[in-house]
Amino acid sequence: MNDIEFCAQLGVEVTVIEVWINEGWIRPETFEGSRAFRLADMARARLIMDLSHHMGVNEAGVDVIMDLIDQIHGLRRVIESAMSERAHLDDELDSLIKKP
Amino acid sequence: MSRDPYEILGVKRDASQKDIQSAFRKLAKKYHPDLNPGDKKAEDQFKDISAANEILGDEEKRKRFDRGEIDMTGAEQHPRNFYRDYASTESSGGPYQNSSGFADFDADDLFSTLFSRRAGRGAFHGNGADLHFRMEIDFLDAVNGTTTSVYLPDGVALEVKIPSGTHDGQTLRLRGKGAPGASGEPAGDALIEVHVRPHRFFVRDGDDIRVELPISISEAVLGGKVRVPTPNGAVDMTLKPHSNSGMMLRLKGKGVAKRNGEKGDLYVTLKIVLPDKPDPQLTELIGTWAQSQAHNPREQMGV
Repeated sequence: MNDIEFCAQLGVEVTVIEVWINEGWIRPETFEGSRAFRLADMARARLIMDLSHHMGVNEAGVDVIMDLIDQIHGLRRVIESAMSERAHLDDELDSLIKKP
Repeated sequence: MSRDPYEILGVKRDASQKDIQSAFRKLAKKYHPDLNPGDKKAEDQFKDISAANEILGDEEKRKRFDRGEIDMTGAEQHPRNFYRDYASTESSGGPYQNSSGFADFDADDLFSTLFSRRAGRGAFHGNGADLHFRMEIDFLDAVNGTTTSVYLPDGVALEVKIPSGTHDGQTLRLRGKGAPGASGEPAGDALIEVHVRPHRFFVRDGDDIRVELPISISEAVLGGKVRVPTPNGAVDMTLKPHSNSGMMLRLKGKGVAKRNGEKGDLYVTLKIVLPDKPDPQLTELIGTWAQSQAHNPREQMGV
């Protein structure tokens, strides 16, 4: 979706979105010179609004939180891969043991 | 939902608005699903807290609740997707990917352990590993199909045929184009995750495409032929006289190729636009016309 649709869905001004993008909290794709937002960007925007409106977190706080959240998801992905790899190895080991 | 909002927020019935706000903030920080990415229950708890706050956080609503005029059901939260729902499916190389949390681990070591045999098949038999790539293509290339290249880490270009009708997020598998296998065993595959850039005016809807078509007042009133862009060139479409804004027309077979060889459709939504600058002749004409008019387009809204 474009700037206008994105802002309308969230009920915020474009200037607010500019701040989020400048801070790097939201990173929309650019296409033919204009921005394109995805649903993941929308969900992040809602999180930013929850933090700053409902939880009273200031700009510096939002900045730290968004960065840590991205780190957590990075770590979650590594753990997930490690677990699936382990399951794999278990299966392969099983099949090797069963085979004479 | 019939629980007591005071109980949910853990405040007394005579708590001040300030107490309620700080109780809500405390709980929201604790239970927000994005701050608890692995806890499935957090979402329900957060919904309850938000609903309770919806009532107690608003002095008017709180009074009405106290008088028994409203209950918690009025404050039910709309279903909503949290960022964590997307973060887990974000592709590698996505804009929010952040590896600082494990950057001090030996990356080569970590990833060779974790990802090298991701495909799993024949890890012990010496087959080559699958290689994963991500590429972006234009909307029209995805619809019409094209041939392009990706560059492997060693600089070798790999030709990729994008089939027509490729959708965003689709993975193309190029057999035998992955890492070479050990001692004569087959090479792995190259897996390419395709991302489709959005188009300026076409919007993909499964196998169909939607487009909003601006038309002039005279085209709307008098009808006639208009040019319509389609993913493979413009075509003529005939408008009936009195074609309204919002009217949807279907151009059969002008959508996206399906697997069975058929094609989806192009849905055209009309949008009447005024000339860029005010036109005195038009203003005068409409002025005369409006005097004899009693048409209220907002009648159904009761205003």
